[in-house]
Order: sequence, then structure tokens, then C-alpha cells
Amino acid sequence: MRDDNGVLDYRSARACHECDLLQQIPELKHGDAAHCIRCGATLKRFHKNSLDTSLAFAITGLILFLVANLFPLVSLEALGVSQHGNLISATWALFDARMPFLGVLMLFTTILFPLFSLLGTIYVLTSIRMSHLPPIIAPLFRFLRSTEAWGMLEIFLLALIVASVKLMDITDVHIGISLYAFVLLIVTLTILSLTLNPDDVWDPLKKKEP
Amino acid sequence: MTTAREAGLISCHFCHNLNRMPVIEETVEHDKEQEMLCYVCNSVIHSRIPSSLNKTWALVIAALILYIPANTQAIMTVQLWGDGRPDTIMSGVLSLLHGGMWPLALLIFLASVFVPVAKLATLIYLLLSIKFRSHWRPKERTQLYRITEFIGRWSMIDIFVIGILVALVQFGNTATVTPGIGALSFAAVVICTMVAAHSFDPRLMWDAIEESAHE
Ligand SMILES: [Zn+2]
Ligand SMILES: [Zn+2]
Repeated sequence: MRDDNGVLDYRSARACHECDLLQQIPELKHGDAAHCIRCGATLKRFHKNSLDTSLAFAITGLILFLVANLFPLVSLEALGVSQHGNLISATWALFDARMPFLGVLMLFTTILFPLFSLLGTIYVLTSIRMSHLPPIIAPLFRFLRSTEAWGMLEIFLLALIVASVKLMDITDVHIGISLYAFVLLIVTLTILSLTLNPDDVWDPLKKKEP
Repeated sequence: MTTAREAGLISCHFCHNLNRMPVIEETVEHDKEQEMLCYVCNSVIHSRIPSSLNKTWALVIAALILYIPANTQAIMTVQLWGDGRPDTIMSGVLSLLHGGMWPLALLIFLASVFVPVAKLATLIYLLLSIKFRSHWRPKERTQLYRITEFIGRWSMIDIFVIGILVALVQFGNTATVTPGIGALSFAAVVICTMVAAHSFDPRLMWDAIEESAHE
């Protein structure tokens, strides 16, 4: 590490990802966040036990995700026929309606990315927890970070509410049992995104280097 | 105030490790940019996103073109008792409004009309501000970028509403909902603007100010 003016310690310094300013990150206490002194971007957060908390929420999330897919989220009844809707049937309906592009979009944003993200997060955090660092961790965690914005379950929940209200005008809409699991899943994922601290994963990898 | 680039360092996008910039030899061809890897996480690193402005412009223009069919073509057709009614984004908002469901109308209007337009306008403004080396309020422009990047994905809501309606409303000849070309175009608009915001490098706004300070 170079140390050109003696002011910055490059091992704990950060360059802001939004304005590139080099700055020293102060020691953070529980619940603190460090912001860029020039543009205000959040540079680092610190929570005690963030690793264990995140792991617990990720496992809870996985269970809720599976339950949310087992039963209908909402059901419609009309003319003696009932139609059930969940993540899989919404994806399937788009393929069925000859809109494969929309079907693929739906498949990735509401099923594959969220599922893979939960499984991957559990694997990465468990490995870090057990101080076992296989080489797959870095690329896997990188992939999870860069696909974060494409998991859109919370948007799907809002869409489900909009669609149900629209349909209530025409017919009866019944809430399925999986809807409760789905709402809890969104709460869990929101907490997970707040507690998960990427530094918990990167710091052990940095120490491993010579 | 020193930036990482001035200090000869490249910050890794993922693990924030500061990597030392290689000394570029004069004999090496400059246009063939060699790939550098972060020594902690092995991801490809660069001081600035390569050809960020060109990529962002291309995606913004693609989104603008796709925006036309997204708004003029039907996003879905609702068939009730054999009577087909194609809906565009705007007619969908208006029918919600006439049905007295103004909170929903407002929500869909914000997600499907306001956010995509505001996002494209913001990106064009930020791109132009770099082109003309604007010094005006870089901190606020960075915040504007941050909001734009964060909010864009919520425009996907209408696509999901269509998916859910298509899945639920399948009652033979009585009532069906089929997705239209407009939905396809609109989904493409949202994807283009999301990737465009991701390709935009806000550090270029600060570079423009620093470069003119050195002159
Ligand atoms: Zn900054
Ligand atoms: Zn890295």
C-alpha cells in the first residue's frame, strides 16, 4: 500500500463510489453509517451481529418463499369456476398468452432471482460464519450484489393489490393462505436488505490475502 | 481533496478495495484497454465505467423510441362477454379514475407515466451537464442520480398487474385478459432505463469540475 502524504491510511480509506473522493472512514459504532463528505453517498454501515441476524432472516425468507409458492395467493370465483393465482401461474400465463419475453421477465424477477438470492446469501453467510472460504464465494457474492435490483417481489405484492382491487369491481376476490406468507416474506426481505452488510463478507476475504 | 484516480488508485465496485493503477507504458496501445482485476474479489475494475456516456445515451435513445409503441399500443385487451376492450397505459389510468379508484389511478400514473418520463429527462439532463462541463450543484445532481437509479424498477408494476390479470381472468368465452404489444414495449422501456441508469457513472460529473479547476 502506498502512503503518499501520511494522512490517509489506505487500508481503512474508501473512495466514494459516486464521486471518487478518497476519505478515511471513522470508527463506526452500532447503528452508525458513514457518508461521503462531498456528495453524501452512504459509504459504510455497521451493525453488531449483522452476520447472524442476516443469516436468520435469509433462512426465514427461504421458508416463507417456499410456502408462498405452495398455495394460491389470491383466488377468483365466477360462474362456478375458480381461478388461482400465484407467482408461478402468473409467469405461466404470460408464456401461455404467447408473450415469452414477458414470461421470462416475470420468471427471473419474481422467481429465479429472489430464490437464487436467498439460497446464495445463506450459502455465503454460512461459509463466512464457519470461516470456510471457498473460491466461489467472491464471484457468487458479486453476482448476488449486481442482480439485487432485479429481484422484484415487493413490486409484485403492490401489483397484486392493484389487480385485486381492479377485479373486486367485477367479481369476488378471495385471499389465499399463501398471501400471508408472501406479506411476511416481503417484510423479511426488507429487513434482510437493511441488516446485510457486504463488509461482513469482503473483510474476511481481504484478510485472507497476503 | 484527492480522488482515488488522482492518487493512482482504483476502487473496486464490489468490495471497495483500493487497487493500485498500473503504470501505462507509452509503447502499449492505449485503445486496447487491458482488463484489470481486483486483487481481493477478482472482479474487473476500472477507474470509470468504460464508455459510460455512449452506453447511457444509446440506452436512453432506445428507451425513447420504445416509449412510443408503449403508449400508443394496447398493453392488454379485456374480453367481457365477447366484447373486447383494448387498454393503453393512459386509458387504464383514466378508467381507474372514472371508476372512483383515484388512489390506484395515481399510483399507476406515477409508476407508468411519471417515473419513466422523469427518469429519461433526468438522465438526459445529467448527460448534457457532463457534456457542457456544468459546475452547478454537483452534490444535488449526484442525489438526483441516486433517486433516479433507486426508483426506476417500480415502473415494472403495470407489467406485473397484467401478468396477474392474465393468470386470474381466464373464464373461457365469458371473460379473458390478453397482454398486448404495448406491454412488451413498456417492459423494454423499463429495462432500458434501468440499464441506462446503471451504465451512467456519476463520478464523471465531479471529474468535469476537477478537470476545469486544473486548467
Ligand atoms: Zn462522494
Ligand atoms: Zn474487489
